[in-house]
Amino acid sequence: MTAVNSGSGTPPVIAGRRVVLDNVSQRYTTDRGDTVHAVSDTSITVESGEFVCIVGPSGCGKSTLMDMLAGFLTPTQGTVTIGGEQVTGPGQDRGVVFQQPNLYPWLSVRKNVELGSKFRKIPASVRHDEAERYLKMVGLEQFMDRKPYELSGGMQQRCQIARVLANDPEIILMDEPFGALDALTRERMQVELLQIWRKRKKTVFFITHSVEEAIFLGTRVVVMSARPGRIILDEAINISDENGSPLGAELRSAPEFVRLRDKVSTAIYEAQGVTGMSPAQH
Amino acid sequence: MSTVAITAPDDKKRISTPGIKPKNRARTAGLRRTAVGLAVFAAFLLMWWGVTAAGLIKPLFLPSPGAVWDAAVQANSCRPVAAGAERLVCGEQNYFMWEHLIASLQRIGAGVGMAIVFGVVLGFIMGTIKPINTVIEPYLNFLRSLPPLGYIGLLIVWFGIGDVSKIWLLFLAAFPPVAMATISGVSGIRQDRIHAAQSLGASRWQVLTNVILPSSLSEIFSGIRIAVGFAWTTVVAAELNNGIPGIGGLAYISGTQLQTPLTIACIIVIGIAAIALDVLIKNLGRLLVPWHGKA
Ligand SMILES: Nc1ncnc2c1ncn2[C@@H]1O[C@H](COP(=O)(O)OP(=O)(O)O)[C@@H](O)[C@H]1O
Ligand SMILES: [Mg+2]
Repeated sequence: MTAVNSGSGTPPVIAGRRVVLDNVSQRYTTDRGDTVHAVSDTSITVESGEFVCIVGPSGCGKSTLMDMLAGFLTPTQGTVTIGGEQVTGPGQDRGVVFQQPNLYPWLSVRKNVELGSKFRKIPASVRHDEAERYLKMVGLEQFMDRKPYELSGGMQQRCQIARVLANDPEIILMDEPFGALDALTRERMQVELLQIWRKRKKTVFFITHSVEEAIFLGTRVVVMSARPGRIILDEAINISDENGSPLGAELRSAPEFVRLRDKVSTAIYEAQGVTGMSPAQH
Repeated sequence: MSTVAITAPDDKKRISTPGIKPKNRARTAGLRRTAVGLAVFAAFLLMWWGVTAAGLIKPLFLPSPGAVWDAAVQANSCRPVAAGAERLVCGEQNYFMWEHLIASLQRIGAGVGMAIVFGVVLGFIMGTIKPINTVIEPYLNFLRSLPPLGYIGLLIVWFGIGDVSKIWLLFLAAFPPVAMATISGVSGIRQDRIHAAQSLGASRWQVLTNVILPSSLSEIFSGIRIAVGFAWTTVVAAELNNGIPGIGGLAYISGTQLQTPLTIACIIVIGIAAIALDVLIKNLGRLLVPWHGKA
């Protein structure tokens, strides 16, 4: 089951914690007093080290699911547990990459990336080096002393990713993190993310609207239905991508890849109530 | 850049005035604006002078610019008690005008300073703890809508006729806008900003100091500007009783003694000081919140 080798990472994280959503629902009450049933009776067990990609029509409750995992929202029904412990609020063990960059404009790019270490009172020189390493990784080493608002949207998003990775969380929650990136940067970030995931043995929850991205990155792809969101497909992915090459034409045309893509796309179309249509890309 | 610039073919089209660089053009525009401002001011003085010199209005009601200037100079210098006398009398009401101004500024500084500390703290508490907000908000609104002149008498009964009651008055006038602005700043923060910090491992205190405080800084500064504006209008009221030294007190007393040139000089000084202080705070805000409007 949990074959966790804690790698050569310096901080010994509590490895092997399993994430369990047990019959989780979330209802919102809107300002007008209506009830929105965003997520309904969802159960899923994720072992440590899995890379779970979540896809589904927009508004189906993917972000809501993430918010409950992050501890920003308490489920109105059911429980979220990590290693048997119930999630009651946000914590450093779960790093969150938001859809928006969410950087702090009063801090430089570097200081933004150092923030997590600063909260944990890690010596300035140590967190300096760490921040630099991750900023180099996302290609922002020339912009370290700039303010976030002096960067493009894509660069800001890369900075946010560096900030979360530098904080070395056990579980990484990413909500359409590469949506704002150009194709080339996106590919690079995908490869980097896979490398970090392999090296550090993180558990990753990754929301995307790109089926190809989900299959390329994930060890598991979960499809959610339209509101109220529930899991309608939970597919293990076994595509060897050991060389860590980007999602290229070769991989795209591999029979197994094509089969998975069609299966997931069909599920999404069915989730939207559009059946019998050819599962085209969107 | 060198003066013998090698210009690209389309440069001529972009720069409408050849030979003037954009930076210079900005400076010319600035100079022009200053020139227009000075011209308007000169025209205003000329009109004022014209009206008084022609004797259209009695000097008691509207003294000439020269008389106001003389009053201001006299208020800042020493002169013999009487023609040919040895003893000198300095300023007005035993203080130079600038000493009156300093006295008022000190009161404003003390009152508004306390208002900032208290208002920001109260604003943070009310902005972050909803039940407290619900309980206190009506009282804050009540206090905010009271004209300071209405309760100065009460403050004098409570705290005496000295500076304590004046500073209290300024404090009470200045803290509601600071508190309101802080509340609005704190409750306007996007949840994701707080969530991001919490997920990075921030404690409650760290969220407060690292996220909530800097996020609301811009609004706090606009609150302080409003508070200082209030304080200026209030300081004259505060100095109606036993307000010497004090520029508001001087304005009031000189008025009652029919020294209208001095009253007008005081009003001009108050206006200039108020604008200068406002510009100072505005620039301080810009310095401390350079990201305002950008993120
Ligand atoms: N705070 C909220 N109040 C009311 N309804 C909400 C709120 N947040 C999300 N919703 C609704 O819940 C549903 C799921 O939203 P979300 O989780 O953001 O979907 P997704 O991320 O899959 O696009 C949507 O219909 C959305 O309108
Ligand atoms: Mg979403």
